[in-house]
Amino acid sequence: MRDGKKTAGGAWGSKLLIRGRVSRAGKIILGVIPILVILGGWSLLTMGEAEARVISPLILPSPWEVVKSFPSLWFDAELSRSIIASAWRVILGFGAAAILAFPLGIAMGAFGKVRALFEPLSVFSSYLPIPALVPLTMSLFGIGELQKVMFLGLAFFIYLLPLFLKSVDGVDNVYLQTAYTLGATQWQSVKHVLLAVSLPGILHAMRLGFGIGWTYIILAEMVAADRGLGQIIIIAQRRGPREHIYLVLLVIVVIAYLTDRLWVRLSKALFPYLEAK
Amino acid sequence: MSTPEAASRPALPVVEFRDVSKIFNPGTPKAFTALEHLSFSIEDFPNRGEFIGIVGPSGCGKSTFLNLLAGFREIYPPSSGEILVRGKSIKGPGIDRGMVFQKYSSFPHLTVLQNVRFGMDINRKRLGLEEKEIEASARDWIRRVGLDGHEGKYPHQLSGGQQQRVAIARCLALKPRILLMDEPFSALDEPTRLDMQRLLVNIWAEVEATVFLVTHSITEAVYLGDRVWIFCRPPGRIYKEFRDVPLPQPGESPLEAQKRPEFQAVVQRVADEFRSVDRTMGARSGPNGAVVPAAQAPGSKGG
Repeated sequence: MRDGKKTAGGAWGSKLLIRGRVSRAGKIILGVIPILVILGGWSLLTMGEAEARVISPLILPSPWEVVKSFPSLWFDAELSRSIIASAWRVILGFGAAAILAFPLGIAMGAFGKVRALFEPLSVFSSYLPIPALVPLTMSLFGIGELQKVMFLGLAFFIYLLPLFLKSVDGVDNVYLQTAYTLGATQWQSVKHVLLAVSLPGILHAMRLGFGIGWTYIILAEMVAADRGLGQIIIIAQRRGPREHIYLVLLVIVVIAYLTDRLWVRLSKALFPYLEAK
Repeated sequence: MSTPEAASRPALPVVEFRDVSKIFNPGTPKAFTALEHLSFSIEDFPNRGEFIGIVGPSGCGKSTFLNLLAGFREIYPPSSGEILVRGKSIKGPGIDRGMVFQKYSSFPHLTVLQNVRFGMDINRKRLGLEEKEIEASARDWIRRVGLDGHEGKYPHQLSGGQQQRVAIARCLALKPRILLMDEPFSALDEPTRLDMQRLLVNIWAEVEATVFLVTHSITEAVYLGDRVWIFCRPPGRIYKEFRDVPLPQPGESPLEAQKRPEFQAVVQRVADEFRSVDRTMGARSGPNGAVVPAAQAPGSKGG
């Protein structure tokens, strides 16, 4: 406790303290180290002329070669159109899943009988291996656009429903009892208490789910996608340039991060009471 | 515990318990009798309700009693017996019985004003309320509980005491005949608790409701109550009733009133009786917090 404040100063405290605080500057320094180590190691392994390298550039291009390949990704592989195509699939699949999971989650959280009806199915589906849904949806819906959206919708639905249910379960019983003693009908209690109080939790679940969706997009576009981020990766892996794989991964991370910020904005706009001081 | 003189009055009792028992998990090895053969009736005084302070060791059925009277589906109906409010058997929760909980219960997504309006808003049609009346009444109650200026705040911006003020205002805005309070001030610090007691004394004179207040503070029960009930177990029942309890005077500070020797004497009597409940219950914590083994505790049933 005594030197707790002292170690808050820099990254180079002499001791490792359990739950010790690290200053902002310290966090940045410490956080950048592993990234630099990886970039350094990567540069070392890919230094020099193509023939003299430890690892062939066909397998692992150098960081600079990856950056240089951006114009070809943008113009030849039509990155922007691929982003739009992938985003559209994610949005459609997510929208369909959320529209179905939302009322079902509320109804399951509100009424014991609805819960008993669907809970076994929900538990069962939460153990399904998501990648296995790709061949499954292909055999059911072909290899067109429908299959991709159905796959994403199914994956999102399986992910979202238990989280929605958990949000409704998280509403303290005291709110319900208060509403009852204030004369609320069953319907009013669902609408004004269970739904209203669980909404921030439900939005948070959607935020988490949407982030996961950008990882599913690769699976969705593994087969016969005429355009999309996943398709670029598949093409780059088969025909090259390999640089595109690294760039697309980076692009997906950036998109996922930016959309996550959008969800935070949305949450602040919809639920100002969480922020008010 | 029933009061025979109630029968001679024309007005129906505001609350009547007729031989009410509540057994949880009946017929299983986990069966537990929370309340047994509880009977009493509380008269409906024309201008003011009675204030009943309820104390008792934990697990003695105090909360079961309040929840039964509230009519919550988790627990209502009782295993046997009948609960009547103004002569009618209750069917479930109703706006004639308001409740204030120990847990903070202000809806987090609503402002103070919206919280206080809540009951009136959802009953707008049934009670035939106009928007103007609702707004005026809500603002009036916010003022009466001393929260004017906080109308636009959200619950998480309020202190514990302020949250309980919201709960009280929200509840009383519906003019309930009966007010159930389950340890409403237990989570508050001592000065806030005294403030809340003062508030309750001041507004209770106007609301004319019969109040059942469960508390772990004997001082609070004696200070606020017209009568004090000590519950005991097992099984839960009313062990002792005190009716000659000094009444709080509106205007006098709770701390001053609670320092007076007459007041202290009553608290002492109730406390002594409370301890004798503990002894009849067997292994319970003694006066100094030490656990008294059942074998050493006198087995005599008091009172």
